Amino acid sequence: MIMDSIVLQSNSIMQNSTNQELIACHECDALQRVGRLPPGCVAHCICCGGRLYSNPKGGLDTPLALSISTLILFLVANVYPLMTLNVAGQSKDTTLTGAAWAFYQAHMPELAAVVWLTSVVTPALIICSNLYILACLRFRLRLPGVRTLLVWVTRLQPWGMMDVFMLGILVSLVKLSGMAEVKLGAGLYAFIALIFFFTASAARFEPHLLWQRLGARK
Amino acid sequence: MNCRAYRAAEQGLMACHVCGLLVQARPGHHLHCPRCSSALHFRKPNSLTRTWALLLTAMLMYIPAMGLPVMQTSAFGSIQGDTIMSGVIYFLKGGDWPLALVIFVASVMVPILKMLALIYLLISVQRQSRLRHRQRTVLYRITEIMGRWSMVDVFVIAIMAALVQMGNLAQITPGLGAVAFASVVILTMFSALSFDPRLIWDHQEQLEHHE
Repeated sequence: MIMDSIVLQSNSIMQNSTNQELIACHECDALQRVGRLPPGCVAHCICCGGRLYSNPKGGLDTPLALSISTLILFLVANVYPLMTLNVAGQSKDTTLTGAAWAFYQAHMPELAAVVWLTSVVTPALIICSNLYILACLRFRLRLPGVRTLLVWVTRLQPWGMMDVFMLGILVSLVKLSGMAEVKLGAGLYAFIALIFFFTASAARFEPHLLWQRLGARK
Repeated sequence: MNCRAYRAAEQGLMACHVCGLLVQARPGHHLHCPRCSSALHFRKPNSLTRTWALLLTAMLMYIPAMGLPVMQTSAFGSIQGDTIMSGVIYFLKGGDWPLALVIFVASVMVPILKMLALIYLLISVQRQSRLRHRQRTVLYRITEIMGRWSMVDVFVIAIMAALVQMGNLAQITPGLGAVAFASVVILTMFSALSFDPRLIWDHQEQLEHHE
């Protein structure tokens, strides 16, 4: 996908035009007017080059469809075991939550909480909130909590670490394959697909445009 | 590199930290965003103090994170503790250098580079540096994005400890170093989040006004 950067710089802040929006860059505070973005384009700051916002192709339908697939894959990835280890006739498998549980059993509840929150709870909250927000806007439903959820999704974003967990799985697969037989489970295949769908749906979820649609509180 | 654009704060406009809406400031009023209800500020409150406090704590925790074993492997009655560095060396000796590199970069380099980057950003802002605004903003952006990848070692320990539970045959239990390491990652993430990159540019705009 080719992303063009379109930024319109105005000489004076007083200048006004109907379809241009005044934005301050969140990284350098530079004021600039940005015209309506064509689908598939990203606007970057004139001053620091930071990303202002994008207008993803597919409107609300594409992220909504991707969010539903993401939720289904998330459920599969969490229910079925990721992998099974076989050593001398004994076998042991683990799910995502099982990995966090290992810390709890080793008397480290704080670490268990960190792992569980970053790999299961936060992603679940982000996926469900995205779905709820998109469905409410797409079907013009007047349900409560859309704004609150959008605020929290923005704040939680850095703490969802499924992609980092994926790298962790790869590293431990290499580590374990040296000492025992490892079988990949259904959960792992779902988890790999989940990473792709989650990333794709997150890339098409643009809070800036969603806030524009919501507008000021009445 | 200087930029001639007007800045929101100069014009008395506050950009909401959460939804980006521009709101006219009113002196003496604590405003909330009319769109998302978040509290409004020109800059993140006490940004430098908070960033320093979290960063110094993270630096302190880095010592036990590297020194204490992150996991204990017991096999056939013998117990062996592994620190993060001994894990890297283990893979290097075994000829598995791509894996050694991944662990070394994610667990050793990224936290150190991240802490150094934050120290540089904090000091340059406090000394009101007028140099390389754009490069420093890019440095902050990279720091913010890279930080979470250090958690990979904590996840590896979790998966290993969950799977290798074979009683006397082989058993892996997480060590105290893992707690210290996870706290380094989380503290540096909070530290980067409480830094306000707009402070890098604030001094430039004052100067242009005096000139």
